[in-house]
Amino acid sequence: MAVWNYLDGFFPQLLLIAFALVMPAIDYVVKDKRVLAWASLVPLLVLAALFTEWLFIGGWEPPASDIALLEVSMFSGLFVLVFVFVGIVVVLGSPEFIKADKNQGEYYALILLAITGMTVVAEAADLIALFVGLEIAGISSFALSGFRKTEKRSAEAATKYFIVGGFSSALTLFAISLIYGVAGTTQIVGIEPVLAGYVSGTEPIDAGPVLVLATVLLMAGFGFKIAMVPFHMWAPDVYEGAPTPISGLLAAASKKMGFAAFFKVFLIGLILTKTDWDIAVGALAIITMTVGNLIAVSQTNMKRLLAYSSIAQAGYVLIALPVATQYAVAGGMFHILTHAFMKSGAFMVVAAMGAVAVGEKLDDFKGLNRRSPFLALSMTLFLLSLAGIPPLAGFASKFVLFSSSVYASFEPGQGWLIWLAIAGVLNSALSLYYYARVIKYMYMEKGTGDSVKIPPMMAVAVGFAVLMVVGIGLFPDPFVSACRDAAEAFSGLAPGWR
Amino acid sequence: MIDWIAYAWLIPVFPFLAFVLIGLLPKRTLGWEDGGGYAVAGAAGALVLSMLVIWDVLNGQTLTHDAPRSTWLIIGDFRIEFGIWVDQLTAVMLVVISVVGTLVVIYSGGYMHEEGVGRRRYYAEIMLFISVMYGLVIADNYLQMFIFWELVGLCSYLLIGFWYEKPSAASAAKRAFIVTRVGDIMLMAGLIILFKYVGTLDFAVLFGQGAGSIVSRGEIPQDMLTLATALIFGGAIGKSAQFPLHEWLPDAMEGPTTVSALIHAATMVKAGVYLTARTYPLLVQTPESLLFVAIIGGVTALIAATCALAANDIKRVLAYSTVSQLGYMILALGAGGYLVIHAHEAGGYAAAMFHLMNHGFFKALLFLCAGSVIHSVGTNDMRSMGGLRGKMPITSITMLIGSVAIAGIPPLSGFWSKDEVLAAVYEGGEFDPVFFALWAMGVATAFLTAFYMFRMWFMTFAGAPRSEVHAHESPKIMTVPLMILAGLALVSGFALFVGEGFMGFIERSIEDLPVTPLHESLTDIAVRIFTDPLTYVSLVLAVAGILLAYRVYYLPGFDRSVFAVGVRGKLQRALENRWYISQFYDDFAVKVWYGFALVADWFDIYVIDGIVNGFAYLGANMGATIRKAQSGNVQRYASLIILGIVVLLVFILYVLPWGGW
Repeated sequence: MAVWNYLDGFFPQLLLIAFALVMPAIDYVVKDKRVLAWASLVPLLVLAALFTEWLFIGGWEPPASDIALLEVSMFSGLFVLVFVFVGIVVVLGSPEFIKADKNQGEYYALILLAITGMTVVAEAADLIALFVGLEIAGISSFALSGFRKTEKRSAEAATKYFIVGGFSSALTLFAISLIYGVAGTTQIVGIEPVLAGYVSGTEPIDAGPVLVLATVLLMAGFGFKIAMVPFHMWAPDVYEGAPTPISGLLAAASKKMGFAAFFKVFLIGLILTKTDWDIAVGALAIITMTVGNLIAVSQTNMKRLLAYSSIAQAGYVLIALPVATQYAVAGGMFHILTHAFMKSGAFMVVAAMGAVAVGEKLDDFKGLNRRSPFLALSMTLFLLSLAGIPPLAGFASKFVLFSSSVYASFEPGQGWLIWLAIAGVLNSALSLYYYARVIKYMYMEKGTGDSVKIPPMMAVAVGFAVLMVVGIGLFPDPFVSACRDAAEAFSGLAPGWR
Repeated sequence: MIDWIAYAWLIPVFPFLAFVLIGLLPKRTLGWEDGGGYAVAGAAGALVLSMLVIWDVLNGQTLTHDAPRSTWLIIGDFRIEFGIWVDQLTAVMLVVISVVGTLVVIYSGGYMHEEGVGRRRYYAEIMLFISVMYGLVIADNYLQMFIFWELVGLCSYLLIGFWYEKPSAASAAKRAFIVTRVGDIMLMAGLIILFKYVGTLDFAVLFGQGAGSIVSRGEIPQDMLTLATALIFGGAIGKSAQFPLHEWLPDAMEGPTTVSALIHAATMVKAGVYLTARTYPLLVQTPESLLFVAIIGGVTALIAATCALAANDIKRVLAYSTVSQLGYMILALGAGGYLVIHAHEAGGYAAAMFHLMNHGFFKALLFLCAGSVIHSVGTNDMRSMGGLRGKMPITSITMLIGSVAIAGIPPLSGFWSKDEVLAAVYEGGEFDPVFFALWAMGVATAFLTAFYMFRMWFMTFAGAPRSEVHAHESPKIMTVPLMILAGLALVSGFALFVGEGFMGFIERSIEDLPVTPLHESLTDIAVRIFTDPLTYVSLVLAVAGILLAYRVYYLPGFDRSVFAVGVRGKLQRALENRWYISQFYDDFAVKVWYGFALVADWFDIYVIDGIVNGFAYLGANMGATIRKAQSGNVQRYASLIILGIVVLLVFILYVLPWGGW
């Protein structure tokens, strides 16, 4: 009885785990492997429906957690929704892509487990729970990247990802232990009161340098997940080598999990020592977006191009941390939300092209409009949205995100924050160069090959992402207010809007 | 009884749906004329709904200050909302766009028939244009309007360059886009000033007179408002091809003639006039801006009319004529503002909008007639036409009606509105003598207009054929729209005397301003027009212009070589070279901007590309190494992470405190 009460709070995770566990069994029984995809869609669709109802309509509410490890809030809810939506797109895009592979049951099981880990991170109220979530998601993703173990590229990607990932996990764990040493607690909300003692001088010990070390190690650990420069080197190799739907999962969901952790720990736990890290994170934000965009210019492989583009997009979202207002967090979350759709959509287009044997090099996009107008138009919309062209979703979210730093820069002593917005806008202009080149390839260049037929499930996945990218762009207001409500979880931050 | 006006937002949806369908449907389902059927349906749907909305406006309903709005984004007190604004001014624009738009699309069924596969792109772009043009005139704030303003510019670019494989068309499209962009930047600057001071771009707030104007409420200083309105008018200078940015419009004639008729005569180029009229509540607070508007209009009217004298391309004659007539409208708006300020009358404002409507009909007619001629003869050059009257009876008669209308001969439409325009400008002279000079320019323009229009008609249709072409009348699908438009050119002037009269109707759109309604009965208007000696000045000059053209270009025995010698020769060459304005821009561009461009290019190649290539080199090299030795690289990644941590630690612990943070 009592056990069930505890488990109540784990409802989303339990649902996902239950389906993950039966997946290999279904694989053993059924011939038509597409059934696996349908089965794994069930928990994702259920969660998507429930969380959409909770956040946008009202009615259903998730059970509150009785244990101090997890905390359900609008903030975690929005992240869970993002993970689940990306999961849906990825699962829809998978059956055709992996139809010739063995062990498909494990593939879907691992996707569900990765999403489980991500939801744990989103809901974590304790550094230990956070770490466990990161590991569940991380280990599942290592295995997924190496799913085609006989393929050299895939195996290489998985190995690299695993080694660098293990290293950064170690750094994160070391940072957590340092924080425990300083603060005496692993509760995220519990860190701040202890730090307040240091800041006001009531606590005698000077924990400054230790805390700075912990902060920097956390930046490295989380920075690995979000592919922040200089902790980004793994990302292009892994995105290129992993099966394309999995690249989409890593870029659109796993990276967002890193942001959930980053926001929680830095803006709740470490907010009092903000002056220690805000300039460093701001500088890394600018470096990350600039390096990502500049290297993306010279890419010839579409998956690598999208990988560097995701690095740049992570740089934009990082703006929210040094700005540190509820407005900025709302902007960051909004951009995370829109990026999830445009990036997963773009990867699904690449996956669809791989599935129908067109290829995933930039040159393969030449003349795509004649071969598949649907894919070409969808890709155009995703790329324009990534560049931030109105009236698409990417414009709306960049607008909120960048304007937050402009507003915050009006506060006394915060004038430097305006440079984050300026860097963001200049980088958006730079990024248009390589996005527009792909569009030019698709529409203006002559390609070879006949028109291709896109598998229906992939078309649904791409179409769903298009719908969201256009829909959020035209009617951003409900999404912005959801993000604002979610950002109120950060009650220690100034609102930032007037 | 349905409140149609509440559904005004649906008007642009019809053509937009047609655009989407034509663009996305598989080729075999496109049907008649490769999408022409969908286009006609889209245009007609919008026409029907527009008429229902106009009916509501005629019955006194408007959708302005209290219109429902939808939210795009709200953050704190920063809000972007979209809404619909339908008043009498909007109604006039709706009439022109819906009627001309539909007729042009039908006419295209014949005119574009030979285009083959290109028709799909043509119809899709035309539908997008019509849709965004509707969007422009029903916007209820400047931001929304600006978005559509840019979109009509985009459509104009695409359609001017419809035959993009022709270098002249591609460069004309580029030119039109870039020149109007100069105006757009000014418009944007003006809007930014307004937003900075007032904090909103909603018409309802900016124009609200309830608590006093925005100046008297102290929200914006007077000189800033003058600057803002002058800059906003700068947008109109670009879009409505006013001097000195007028040269793009004659070049825009590279597009299909239907496009010239719809976009570059009847609708998009009117957007600038519409913008100026819409901004009236702000403009009448700054006499300096009004004077600027009037002078630009007057100068444009005269200069463009002279340029039309020596043009030999039938479409260019009409293009300069359009520029000149747009100048009339702008002039009337400038003078009308003075009348609002000093005499509390809306005469000039109403005259401008009246001329806008009439011009929309007769100029679209003239262009479509020209299209019919070009379709049949296969050239634009009037020197190889002539004697087409017998072979193309319908085209020649409808074009004659259009020419008489624009020349200002009663009782056709051009007479009434041109007379109102000139009367308003003359009345403005009471308050600033500059308007007397502008009136004189306007009257001279009237003379020139009559002359060049009949020069064109005689060169095209009269006399003996000057080349070996087998001209034939165009098919019904083209001539029926011509006849409908000719009918409108005959009667649209009588709108002055129907119902409450056009003047009384349009006046209500600025009734919030200190304007006393005209207490003229409809007979009074007729009496005033026909007892005013000034009416006869312009009328006599117009007739003289027609007679002169008759003498020079119709009656045999006139030696036109006198135009080629001495002072007259110089003048002729100056006119043929459009007063060297275009040449000036080209020289300016070549000598000054090319130098600047070289510097920018050098910077681009060596600095920007250098950085990009440097990163590319780094990225590519690393990629190459990665593929060669995997194990080494993972170590490198890990060591880079360590390096990053160390750098961050040093930065936070030593560099920041040292820098005083």
